[in-house]
Amino acid sequence: MPKPILTIKNLTKKYGENVIFQHLDLDVNEGDTIVIIGPSGTGKSTLLRCVNLLTRPNEGQIWLDDEEITAKGADEDQVRQHVGMVFQNFLLFNHLTALGNVKLGLTKVKHMSDAQATEKAMHELTRVGLADRANHYPGQLSGGQQQRVGIARALAMDPRVMLFDEPTSALDPELIGEVLEVMRQLALDGMTMLVVTHEMGFAREVADRIIFMEKGYIVEEGSPDEMFNHPKFPRTREFLWKITELYGKKEKDAE
Amino acid sequence: MDLGQFVSYIASGTVYTVGVTLISLPAGLLIGIILALLYVYGGKTAARVLNLYSTIFRGIPPVVLLFILFFAVSKGINLSAFWAGSLSLGVVSSAYQMEIVRGALLSVSGDQMMAARAVGLSRLQAIRYVVIPQAIRLAIPPWSNEAAIIIKDSSLVYALGVPEILRRAQLIGASSQKYLPAYISAAIIYFLLVFITTHLLTLLEKKLAIPSNP
Amino acid sequence: MRKHFLLVVALVLVAAMLVGCTSESSSLLNKIQENKKVIVGTSADYPPYEYLDEAGGITGFDVELMAEIANRMGVELEWVDMPFDSLVAAVSSGKLDMSISCFNYDEERDKTVDFSEAYYTTEDAFVVGSAFTGTITVPEDIANYKVGVQSGTVQDGWLTDNLVTPGLLPEANLSRYERVDQAALDLANGRIDVLMADYVPVQALVAQNPDLQVVFHAELSTGPINIVLPDGDTELKAEIDRIIKELQADGFIDQLAVKYFSE
Repeated sequence: MPKPILTIKNLTKKYGENVIFQHLDLDVNEGDTIVIIGPSGTGKSTLLRCVNLLTRPNEGQIWLDDEEITAKGADEDQVRQHVGMVFQNFLLFNHLTALGNVKLGLTKVKHMSDAQATEKAMHELTRVGLADRANHYPGQLSGGQQQRVGIARALAMDPRVMLFDEPTSALDPELIGEVLEVMRQLALDGMTMLVVTHEMGFAREVADRIIFMEKGYIVEEGSPDEMFNHPKFPRTREFLWKITELYGKKEKDAE
Repeated sequence: MDLGQFVSYIASGTVYTVGVTLISLPAGLLIGIILALLYVYGGKTAARVLNLYSTIFRGIPPVVLLFILFFAVSKGINLSAFWAGSLSLGVVSSAYQMEIVRGALLSVSGDQMMAARAVGLSRLQAIRYVVIPQAIRLAIPPWSNEAAIIIKDSSLVYALGVPEILRRAQLIGASSQKYLPAYISAAIIYFLLVFITTHLLTLLEKKLAIPSNP
Repeated sequence: MRKHFLLVVALVLVAAMLVGCTSESSSLLNKIQENKKVIVGTSADYPPYEYLDEAGGITGFDVELMAEIANRMGVELEWVDMPFDSLVAAVSSGKLDMSISCFNYDEERDKTVDFSEAYYTTEDAFVVGSAFTGTITVPEDIANYKVGVQSGTVQDGWLTDNLVTPGLLPEANLSRYERVDQAALDLANGRIDVLMADYVPVQALVAQNPDLQVVFHAELSTGPINIVLPDGDTELKAEIDRIIKELQADGFIDQLAVKYFSE
């Protein structure tokens, strides 16, 4: 059994007295798509931010490919080259075109030549279906298009793991589909992904494992079949019911 | 003295007005940018010191600083009225410009910084390639305001004896007893200077604007 | 401006101490004679003492007098125009060699600069507008009205010491202006009732403006006018005083007075 690509051990994050989560353990195998669900404010986003060191945990360790990224001397910028992140609010660089957004990391961090960077960037934009919008600015793109550029931007760095922090929560219903489709394809292509989302349809179809977090704890985790059809804990069942109802309605409206 | 001579006497002060502006405004900008970057990214101690700097130089009437520099400080170093005036104005302006740039940086920062770091950019790279380019655009309108203020405040150097527009208007007004025409002429010249400057800056703003769908 | 004047004077004193002011043991006179040039300040907005001529140069009673003094010293004269309030600080801090600008002797000023012997004598005047219906028989009468004055002048000092401080004239009724022409405007539109200023320049004002008239003139705050010199420079003062006496003796000053002061 190959070692997990990502290992999280005993992770704790507090802000003063306020405990976000504690003693979290998680193993992610290469190519896995892990979907994390749960009520808002239970530390799901914070957990993701620990994986790419945007936030430092108070206790615990994280290993990526056998390297402890939480170690004292670790180069954060280096680590982030291997972990891609997609944000709820897209956070595209507003002063750059779609192409410019995707190229920035390639030229400044990976020190590619302009020609190389352009080629790679166009490849990623094509992958998300936006090659024809390469010269548009974020202000000229729809929400769904912006988010796909955001995905291309993260992918361009050839990350080992992709983190998605509620990637569709800020999108109009009609635009959610195009983004989920890109993510689904990414999963099929074998990318290791951690996805925080409320999109149950996506979870059911694409996830290898679903993790339910509440109040800073992992309440339950398992395969989609286990979680949706035979959840062990009433709280899990309760939450999934509520959210499927809500999102089932949403999907109906979007049709 | 006919009208032509009258007005051109006043107008000949323009070279001093422009001169003082062209020294104090860029000086204020250079210092202001450096200090703003230190203020936003330099840590708590730097922020406290710079807050003090801002409070002091925005709190003193510029003309007082002009006097201090010209009469007191330049007992040791010999500064001409023109340079004492321009440099003092530059220092005062730097405090205001620091606040302008700081405001612009803070309007951008935060999330943009986070996204930049997530791609692997270092803090410095993020500031340079992501924050600053966006901050520049945000800073132009308030900076245009500051430029207009400096053009008008340049008249303060009259207190040190620099023969700029306002002083000339005073002199010729008193000497000919034609005060109103003198001050109106001065006002028109200042108006033109400010109008041209702000118009040029608006053009710059349009040129740099990031395209978006209306 | 008056507030700033005191602040600047204080700062100049501090700076003088800080710069470890070994006041130059040699007189400024030596420097002037070596350079063959004297740098003189004036505020050229005060006809007929100092003002602009048709060509935009400086002229006037004080101006011509000073030109002759420089002539008799055998040196060139460089004029520097500055607002009145700045002149004393400029002499005191060495930016100017001396200043002539219808200065009256003033104890406050004497702390930081010296005065030459008087070269002429002036009077104060009270000016009123055509709407004025009151009576002024003695100077103190103006305490009953709204008064205007140029700030930082000896008239300002006189009014403050003699009328405001003893409580005769409420502070709120005394308006200070940067220049006499501003005060004259307010006089004409009734914001103030009485303007106290130097008699001679005010005559030019009144000549231009038929609404205004002088109702009283005497030596109150004014009197002799002097050249302002650097503090403690006895040699320079001696030389200037000597020349002033010469000019008085050979009638130069009288001729100048006729040229500029008679209507």
